[in-house]
Amino acid sequence: MMSVWSRRPHFLHLGLFIAAYVLGCGFAQALAIVPGTGISIWPPSGLFMATLILASRHSWPWWVLGGCLAELFSNALWFHNPLSVALLIYTGNVLEAVAGAWLVTWACRRPFRLETLQEVLTLVVLGAGIAPVASATVGSATLAWFGMQTFAAAWPLFWLGDATGVLIVAPLALAVLQNCGGRTQLSAARWMEACVLGLIFLGVAALSLSGHLPSAYIVMPPLLWAAVRFEFKGAAVALTLLALITVVFTISGTSQFVGDPEFQKQMQFALQLFLAISAFSVLTVAAVSRQHQQALLTLRDSERELSQLVDMVPSHVWRLRPDGEPIFFNKRMTDFIGLDVADLDKPGMSRLEAVIETVHPDDAAGFGDALRRSLAIGESFALRYRLRRADGVYRWMSSRAEPLRDQDGRIVQWFGLCHDIDNQVHAEEALRRSEQQLQQMIDAVPVRIWSATPTGGPVYFNKRYQDHFRSVIANFEAIEEPRIEELLQELIHPEDAPEVQRTLQNCFETGGGSSMRFRWREKDGVYRWAECRVEPWRDQAGAIAQWYGVSLDIDEEVRAQEALRERERELSQIVNMVPVHIRRLTPDGEPTFFNKRLLDFFGLSDVAQLDKHGMSRLAAAIKTLVHPEDATRLLETVRHSLATGEPYAMKYRMLRADGVYRWVDGRGEPLRDQSGAIVHWYAISIDIDDQMRLYRDLEEREAKIRRLVDSDIIGIVIWDLDGRVIDANDAFLRMVQYGREDVEAGLRWFDMTPPEWQDVHAREEAEELKATGKMQAREKEYFRKDGSRVPVLIGAACFEGQSRQGVAYILDLTERKRAEAAQMRAEEALRQAADELAKATQATSLAELSASIAHEVNQPLAAIVANSHACHRWLSAEPPNLERAKTTAERIIRDANSAADVVSRIRAVFKQSTQTGSCTALNSAMAEALDLTAEEAARRRVRIDTGIEDDLPLVALDRVQVQQVLINLMRNGMDAMDSVQGDRVLLVRARRMGDVVQTEISDRGAGIEFPDKIFEPFFTTKGTGMGMGLAICRSIVESHGGRLWAEKNEPQGATFVFTLPVEVKAVP
Amino acid sequence: MTKGRPVVAVVDDDPRLLESLADLLESAGYAARSFSSARSLLVSGLSGMDVLITDIGMPGMNGFELCDLVKKVRPDLPVFLITGRYQIAEADRTQGVSGCFRKPFDAQVMLAAIGDVLRKSKNGG
Repeated sequence: MMSVWSRRPHFLHLGLFIAAYVLGCGFAQALAIVPGTGISIWPPSGLFMATLILASRHSWPWWVLGGCLAELFSNALWFHNPLSVALLIYTGNVLEAVAGAWLVTWACRRPFRLETLQEVLTLVVLGAGIAPVASATVGSATLAWFGMQTFAAAWPLFWLGDATGVLIVAPLALAVLQNCGGRTQLSAARWMEACVLGLIFLGVAALSLSGHLPSAYIVMPPLLWAAVRFEFKGAAVALTLLALITVVFTISGTSQFVGDPEFQKQMQFALQLFLAISAFSVLTVAAVSRQHQQALLTLRDSERELSQLVDMVPSHVWRLRPDGEPIFFNKRMTDFIGLDVADLDKPGMSRLEAVIETVHPDDAAGFGDALRRSLAIGESFALRYRLRRADGVYRWMSSRAEPLRDQDGRIVQWFGLCHDIDNQVHAEEALRRSEQQLQQMIDAVPVRIWSATPTGGPVYFNKRYQDHFRSVIANFEAIEEPRIEELLQELIHPEDAPEVQRTLQNCFETGGGSSMRFRWREKDGVYRWAECRVEPWRDQAGAIAQWYGVSLDIDEEVRAQEALRERERELSQIVNMVPVHIRRLTPDGEPTFFNKRLLDFFGLSDVAQLDKHGMSRLAAAIKTLVHPEDATRLLETVRHSLATGEPYAMKYRMLRADGVYRWVDGRGEPLRDQSGAIVHWYAISIDIDDQMRLYRDLEEREAKIRRLVDSDIIGIVIWDLDGRVIDANDAFLRMVQYGREDVEAGLRWFDMTPPEWQDVHAREEAEELKATGKMQAREKEYFRKDGSRVPVLIGAACFEGQSRQGVAYILDLTERKRAEAAQMRAEEALRQAADELAKATQATSLAELSASIAHEVNQPLAAIVANSHACHRWLSAEPPNLERAKTTAERIIRDANSAADVVSRIRAVFKQSTQTGSCTALNSAMAEALDLTAEEAARRRVRIDTGIEDDLPLVALDRVQVQQVLINLMRNGMDAMDSVQGDRVLLVRARRMGDVVQTEISDRGAGIEFPDKIFEPFFTTKGTGMGMGLAICRSIVESHGGRLWAEKNEPQGATFVFTLPVEVKAVP
Repeated sequence: MTKGRPVVAVVDDDPRLLESLADLLESAGYAARSFSSARSLLVSGLSGMDVLITDIGMPGMNGFELCDLVKKVRPDLPVFLITGRYQIAEADRTQGVSGCFRKPFDAQVMLAAIGDVLRKSKNGG
C-alpha cells in the first residue's frame, strides 16, 4: 500500500484527469443520438488510455480510482444506470484502457511519442482496434444481463464508440499531455496559415455537416491539410473541432446524422464511422508528414554537422574539378590564404595557377608539376611545400589529394587535404640539429662510448673509440660485425683480458650492469689504465633494448691512487718510526689506532685488547695504562676537549710494559672536515721521563744556586768585559753601598775599580778570563759609593759559550783584613817560637846525624875487623889455610871500600845543600843561633860575649847548616869549659875581612892539643861523642867555599875560626 | 853428651857482617850457622845450638826481643849481643846475656868470651 501511496500522481493532475473524464462523459451524452442505445462516441476511453500510456504502471491504480469516481459521478448526473451496471461498464472501460496502454507500450517500447507511422498504426490497431473489444464485450454483456439491450445490438456500437473515442481523443490527449511543459513557438506566417486553415475548415465543416454540401466527407481536405502542415497537433485540434462541430450540429438537429428515428441507428453508425475514418486518415497523414519532416530535419542536421566538421578539422580541405580548377576551400583554408575560391578568378590565369602562386617560389614549380602530373594520370598526390599565409608568412604544409571516381571509374572530383606542418618541420629540423650536435658531442667527448644489441652483437663506437681501435688494431676496418668483448681482447692487457671477457659475458647473460678496470694498449704501445662501465637500457616492457658502455682513461687516477697508497704506506712507516706515541680517536673519544711504538710501549698487539666490559675503551685505556694519580685528571681533560673541541696538552705518567711508569708529554688535537665537523682526534705523547728527571735535577741545582745567590752571604755579580754590572745581588750592593736603582741606571764595575787595579784588570784578569774562562780568586779593592775603599776577594768565571759575560763572587774582606792583621801579629810570635824550636832541633840533629854516620861506618868496620882476625887465623893455622885467607882478605878490601863510600856520600850530601843556598844576612842567622844556645849557655853558666858587625854583607849560605856549624862550635866551647873553675866566657865575633866574613868562637877551656888532628873524623877528646862534629863542620864550611881552623887561645882555651866568602853581586 | 865442633848461631841483617863473623868463628874451629833475621832462626829451631850471637838493631824482631824469647826456650843458651849504636848500657841490663860487643868489636875478645861460656856450660853441664 505504501508503495502505491508513494507512487501517487500529483493530485492536481488527478483532479484535471477526473474533470476531463467527466467532461468526456458529458460530451458522449451529448452525442447519444439514439436514446437507450448507448452513446456514439466514448471520449473517456481515449483519455484514459493516453493517460495510462504516459503514466507509470505503478500509478495506474490511482488513475483507475480517479476514473471510477468520474464515471460514477457522470452516471449519477446523466446516464442514470443502476450502480451495479455502471460499475460493470466501468470495469469494462478499465480493462480496455489497461489492455490498450499495455499493448501499445509493449509494442512500441517506451517512451511512446506518437511521432512515427509505426506508433500511429500501433495506436490505431492495438489501442483503437483490439482494446475496445474488452470494453464492448463487458459493457454489452452487462446491458444484455440487465435486459436493457441485446448483446448483439449493443456490442458493435459499443466497440465503435470506444474505438472512435480512442482515435479522436488519445492523440489529442497525448499531444496535450506531452507538450504541456514546452511551448512550440510558431512563426507569424504559420499563425496566419493556421488561422486561414481554421476558417476554411470551420466553413467546410459547417456547410457539409449542416447538409448544405452533399457529403460530410468534403471536410477531409482541410483536415488532411492540417495534418500535413501541423502534424499531430494540427490533426488533434482539427479532429477535436470536427467532433465538437458534429456534436453541435447533432444536438441542434441540423446534422446529416439526424434523421428519422428508424434511421437513427444507421445514422449513428455512419457518424461513428465518419469520425473514425476521418480520425484514422488524419492521423495516418500526420504520421507520414511527421516522419518526412523528421527525415528532412535529420538530413539538414547531418549536413550542418558535416560542414562544421569540415570547417573544424585542423586541416585545409579543398576540392578540384577533374581538370584541376578549385571549386571548394574549407573555412580554415580560406582564412589561411586569405582568399576564397571566388577570389581566385583573375584575368589571364586559371584558378589553379592562382593557387600555385600562393606557394613559395622555391616550391611552386615542383608543386605545379606534381599536381598536374597527378591530374593527368589520376594518381594520388602528396607533397610538402611552403604556402603563403594571408600575412605573407610562408609555412610548411603537407598536402595530399585523392581522386573521387564514379561507378564507371571516371574521375568526378579531386579531394585534397593539406595540413600545417610548419611546427613539425621546424621541430624535425631542430631534432636533426640536436641529433647532429649530439653526435658531434659524442665524438668530441674525451671518453670512448659504444653501444651494442641486447646480445652484445654488432657494436656502435664513437669516433674516439674508432680512432683508438684503428690506431691499435691493424685490420680494424676488415672486421665484420665486431663484438665488443672480442674487440676489447685486442686492446686489453693480457693479464686483465680474461677477467673483462668473463665480466662482459656475464653482463650479457644476466642483464646486469657492471664496471671494470683494466689496462689497455694505446697507439704508442703503452698500456694505460681505463675503466669501462656497462649498463643495459631497457624499454618500457623491461626488456633490454640496447647495451651502452663508456670507457674512461683513468690512468692518472690509478697511478695517483697507487702513489697515494705508497705514500700512505710510507706515512704509516713514519708514524711507526717517529719516536712519538701516536693514537687516533673517534670524535667521541674511542681509541681506534695506536702506532707500533705505542703498542710496543704498552706491550700490546692490538688496541682491541684494551676493551673491558661495562666501560668505554677510552676509560679502560686510561684506567689501565695511566698512573692512578694522573688518570682522573687525564680523563677529565680529554673529556672536556671532546666536548668542546679544544686541543689539550698534559703531562702524565704511562705504564710501560715492564711495569715502570714513565712521564710523557701528551697532546691531542681534532681533525676537522671542510664543514668544521670533527672527523678524528689525534693524540700524541712523547716520553719525557729522562727530560723530567733532568729538569728536576736542574731545578734542584738551580734552587741550590738560587739559595746561594739569595742568601746574601757572598756578593754575586753578573758582568761583562766592557765594564758593566748587568745584575748584582743585595749582598754585593750592600758591600759597595749602591742601591738597586743604580744597577738599573747602569752601574760600571770598571769605574768602581781603583786606578791601580784597573791596569791589573786590563792586563791580567782579562787575559786570564779569555784564556781559561776563569779568574782565580784574588784580592783587590773597590770604591764604595762614598769613595771609600772596600777590600774584597773576587773570583770570576765566564758563562759557557760567552767570552764577554760571566759571573763573579765577591767577599768583603774588611773584617778579614782586620782579623788578619791581628793574626799576623800572633803568627809572628808563633813563628819566633817555631824558629826557636827549630834551632833546638838543629842543635840535637847534628848529634843524631853523627850517630847515624857512625852506624853506617861501623857496619863495614866491624866486618873488616872480624875478617882481619879471621884472615890472620887462617894464615896462622898449621898448615895455613891460604884459600880461606885469600877469600877473607878480598872481603876486607871490599868492606873497606864500602866504608869509604859512606864518607864520600856524607860529603856529597853537604855539598849538594850549599848549591841551593840563598843570599842571607849573616847577622840574623848568627842572632838566631845565639838565641838558640842562650838558654843552654845560661844553664851551663857560660857567658856569651858577642862582637858582630852590624853591616855585614849578604852571604850565600845554607842558613841551617851554617847555624849548625855555629852552634856546634859554641857547644864545643861550652863543653871545653865544663871543668873550668874561673869565668866561663864564650866570645863570638864576626867581621868582614876583605872578601870574606870571618867568624870566631873563642873559649877559655883547656885548649887543644893537636889543632890539626881534631878535624879528622872520629877524633875526639871528649868522653862521649863520635868525633865527627868538627869534621862535619869543616866539611860544611868548605862546601860554602870557606875555611875552618883552630887556634890556641892565650892565655888558655881555643879559638875556632871560619870564613865565608862575600857574594859580589846581589841576586835581584 | 859428646859431639864435634860447638855450633854458634849468628843473626844479623847485614850480610857482610854475617859472612865475616861466620868466617871468624870457623877459623876458630866452631861451626857457624848464619841467619839474616830473628824469624829465620826461630823457624830453623834452637836445638843443637851452643851459642847465639845476635845483632840488636834489626828490622822486624830486634835482638832484645829475640833474646827474651830464646831465654824462655833455652835459658841455658849463652847469648851475645852486638850493636852498632850506643845501646850497650841497655844491653848490659838485659837478663841472661853472656856479653855485649859494640861494633867494631875486638875479634880476639869475642872468641875468648865464646870459649869461656862454652867451657862454663861444659863444666856446669
